[in-house]
Amino acid sequence: MLEARGVTVRFGGLVAVDRLDLEVPDTGIFALVGPNGAGKTTLINALSRVCSIASGSVRVNGTDVLELLPHQVVSAGVARSFQRAELFPTLTVLENLLVGLHSEMTTGLEGALMTPSTRRQEKAARVRAERLLRELNLWELRDFSPADLPYGHQKLLDVARALISEPKLLLLDEPFAGLTEAETPRLLACIAGAGRRCAVLMIEHHFELLEGIAERVTVMNFGRKIAEGSPSGVRRDPEVLRCYLGTGRHGQAETAAC
Amino acid sequence: MPRYAVTVPVVIIAAVLPLVLQLIGERQVYWLFVVSEFFVFAIVAISLDLLMGRTGQISLGHSGFVAVGAYTAAILNARFGVDLLGGAFAGGSLAAIASLFLGVPATRLRGHYLGIVTLGFGIAVDQIALKWDALTGGDQGLHLHRPTLLGLDVGTPVLMYYVALIALIVATLLVWSLTRTRLGRAFAAVKDSEIAAAAMGVPVASTKVVAFVCSAFLAGAAGGIYAFLAGFVAPEDFGIDSSLLFFAMVVIGGMGSIPGAIGGAIIVDAIKNAAATVSGLSLAILGGMIVLVVLFFPGGLKALLRRHAAKRTTLDRTRNATVPLDA
Amino acid sequence: MTQYLLQISLAGLAQGSLYALTALGLVVIYNASTVVNFAHGAMGMAATYVAYVLISQLHVPVPLAFVGAIAAAFILGAVVQALLLERLNGAPILTQVVVTLGLFMFLEGVLGLAFGYNPRPMAPPIAIAPVTVAGLVLRPQDIVQLALLVALGVALAALFGATKLGLGMRAITENTYAARLMGIPVGRVLGTAWGLGVLLAAVAAILAAPTTSVTPNMMDTIVVYGFIAAILGGFGSLVGAVVGGLILGVIVNMIDAFLAPELAMSIVFGLLVLVLYVRPDGLFGRKAVQKV
Ligand SMILES: Nc1ncnc2c1ncn2[C@@H]1O[C@H](COP(=O)(O)OP(=O)(O)O)[C@@H](O)[C@H]1O
Ligand SMILES: [Mg+2]
Repeated sequence: MLEARGVTVRFGGLVAVDRLDLEVPDTGIFALVGPNGAGKTTLINALSRVCSIASGSVRVNGTDVLELLPHQVVSAGVARSFQRAELFPTLTVLENLLVGLHSEMTTGLEGALMTPSTRRQEKAARVRAERLLRELNLWELRDFSPADLPYGHQKLLDVARALISEPKLLLLDEPFAGLTEAETPRLLACIAGAGRRCAVLMIEHHFELLEGIAERVTVMNFGRKIAEGSPSGVRRDPEVLRCYLGTGRHGQAETAAC
Repeated sequence: MPRYAVTVPVVIIAAVLPLVLQLIGERQVYWLFVVSEFFVFAIVAISLDLLMGRTGQISLGHSGFVAVGAYTAAILNARFGVDLLGGAFAGGSLAAIASLFLGVPATRLRGHYLGIVTLGFGIAVDQIALKWDALTGGDQGLHLHRPTLLGLDVGTPVLMYYVALIALIVATLLVWSLTRTRLGRAFAAVKDSEIAAAAMGVPVASTKVVAFVCSAFLAGAAGGIYAFLAGFVAPEDFGIDSSLLFFAMVVIGGMGSIPGAIGGAIIVDAIKNAAATVSGLSLAILGGMIVLVVLFFPGGLKALLRRHAAKRTTLDRTRNATVPLDA
Repeated sequence: MTQYLLQISLAGLAQGSLYALTALGLVVIYNASTVVNFAHGAMGMAATYVAYVLISQLHVPVPLAFVGAIAAAFILGAVVQALLLERLNGAPILTQVVVTLGLFMFLEGVLGLAFGYNPRPMAPPIAIAPVTVAGLVLRPQDIVQLALLVALGVALAALFGATKLGLGMRAITENTYAARLMGIPVGRVLGTAWGLGVLLAAVAAILAAPTTSVTPNMMDTIVVYGFIAAILGGFGSLVGAVVGGLILGVIVNMIDAFLAPELAMSIVFGLLVLVLYVRPDGLFGRKAVQKV
């Protein structure tokens, strides 16, 4: 599904991602771990065209992603979530999900006239969004602004908004960071479900979480891939242990995020 | 529209107001004009709110678009006898074309450029209207024929009142529908997070331009209606001062809300009319109100009213808000 | 003819120095706080009223009155930052811009209420007759304006290039949050930037006052040209603001002399839109980098 070769991203003199290769098959969950500032978010930004790439190539399902503009990436089957849930507080929870269907819908200015085709599209989109909201147990909150939701619900909504377009490649930036113990299982189930239908590339620090679901873990440090393998295997890798030493076991103290 | 409990009585009151004025009998024509004029201003406020409140883009020259619409309608009417509907539509279209020309470079850039460019546009329209007197009548202004609408004579104050009221209702419904469909959601998405909007497939730059063009079309159409309502257009009706009034309507009413824009238009129009005799007074009051609203009542009038209404429902809301994820 | 052109260009440079000073102030404020200060001209105008009251009502000596007005401008800028902008920390930029617009309306309205809209005269700071050098008429006022622009420009460059204030400002522009963590007194640095920016607007307004007279809207035209000069200069570059202002002054004077003075703003505005099509980041601007 994803085939990235020699991806390099620079910010001025800083090389945030350094000649990184990454391959992801059609389905399954693949994790990206690494200490703070390793370049994980930047990699996801590069794959979703938020950052421009200095060199390298990225293909998704055969499409050259680098040819696309940022807003065209979702039509190529790539959807993403954000480290700090970038939701739309002006809109309701339900409407946030509908924005996730933007590129599948076609209504433009004629929406002001509520033409029959507009109504049809809106109805269909709403049915899909409502189904997903019920699945995620967010149904009661559909008319709230996401700004009024607890953080865990916001993260869940952020993932749901990416999921609703039924992407082929789902990029998740620390979906579990900031969730409480009680909130974690539902999101986990949701992501596991997605992993059966499409490829999920997820940044996540908790090896405990990854053990059960991730097929493969890629470890990054200073922009480079330093290890790759099964969750339990990577965990015992000496180089991985070394780079985690001192950052805390899970390296979760994110402050300066991309 | 939802909340029929509010909108239906408001529309009924507006619809019977001419009868009430008839019964009172005093200065009926004057009051009919004041309220009709307010309806037109409220359309402009709604159009500016679509841009500022909904899309997060600033315009300081909205009266420039109103002027383009008003002059277009006046010229077409005076020379070719175009009726009110045609004048309003042509006025809106020309304003939309002007906004496309401005918006394409200005919205691609940092947000404040549009504010400065529209400010310059408002001044330029004023200067050109004064200078190009062969077309606009210069400082003498331009008179229109008695307004007709689809062959019907609507040249009485009462009929023009209903034309303006219906125009406001139509504008409200159009904008309301737009914000409830795909494009309107994209406007809000662009305002809230450009990066997330793009990731959802929203082309950020062109969405801003579309919002700007929609807003200018409505303002221009309102200008066209205004020309027929006043029967006369002159440059002093559309200076930077009136752009600031529209701006004040949107901020004081509460950005991002149609009822807010209409409420803001009521307040600002009332202050403008009440303080008209003392120069500087309305500017000082409105400027002070804008600062206070931004600092202490970020939602404006809309939020104040809603807070009052919300007191009763908070309880249910909080009960719903804590649905656990793993229920 | 060349003589005439030179004369017009010279007057244009002098006029442009006012746009440049205004633009410099806008850029100083923008660089520190990413807010375009729409109350900029009005704040400079308010400081001019301070000078006016000091001179014509309290009979303070002219130089002292100017110093007082400029000090008042600095304080006004710092106070506005502390009372209004600081409270809106973290609010969308649109909200912060809206508050400066409200302030603009408020200041113009209040000074209109207090002093009326009748223009009040202000004597030029230097009452020397113009001198003729090589056939060019040099007005002392023009020389003072240009000299002040150069002096203030160099002083600003030194201030931002070589002091902790400049470093702090750059750190805040880069990342306000990180700057706070690093122990930079963000509030104080921003207050200073606003004070300095408004000070520059006040210098422009006081210099303009002998020609425009003192009125609540004396700065309206100048500040719009200041905005345009700042955009031409890329909105961020001090050198760009100065060059943009000077070029604009010459252009405006050329329009006044050869085309139609009453269309000057329209023509300049048309040129600005064209420039934005061709060079979106201004004549000298670098591309703005957006943080995710
Ligand atoms: N927009 C940006 N401009 C400059 N530097 C950036 C930007 N985004 C990220 N960086 C830098 O790139 C490096 C990688 O950051 P990031 O990808 O956020 O790391 P991670 O997500 O692995 O914690 C960090 O040093 C960070 O400071
Ligand atoms: Mg990160």
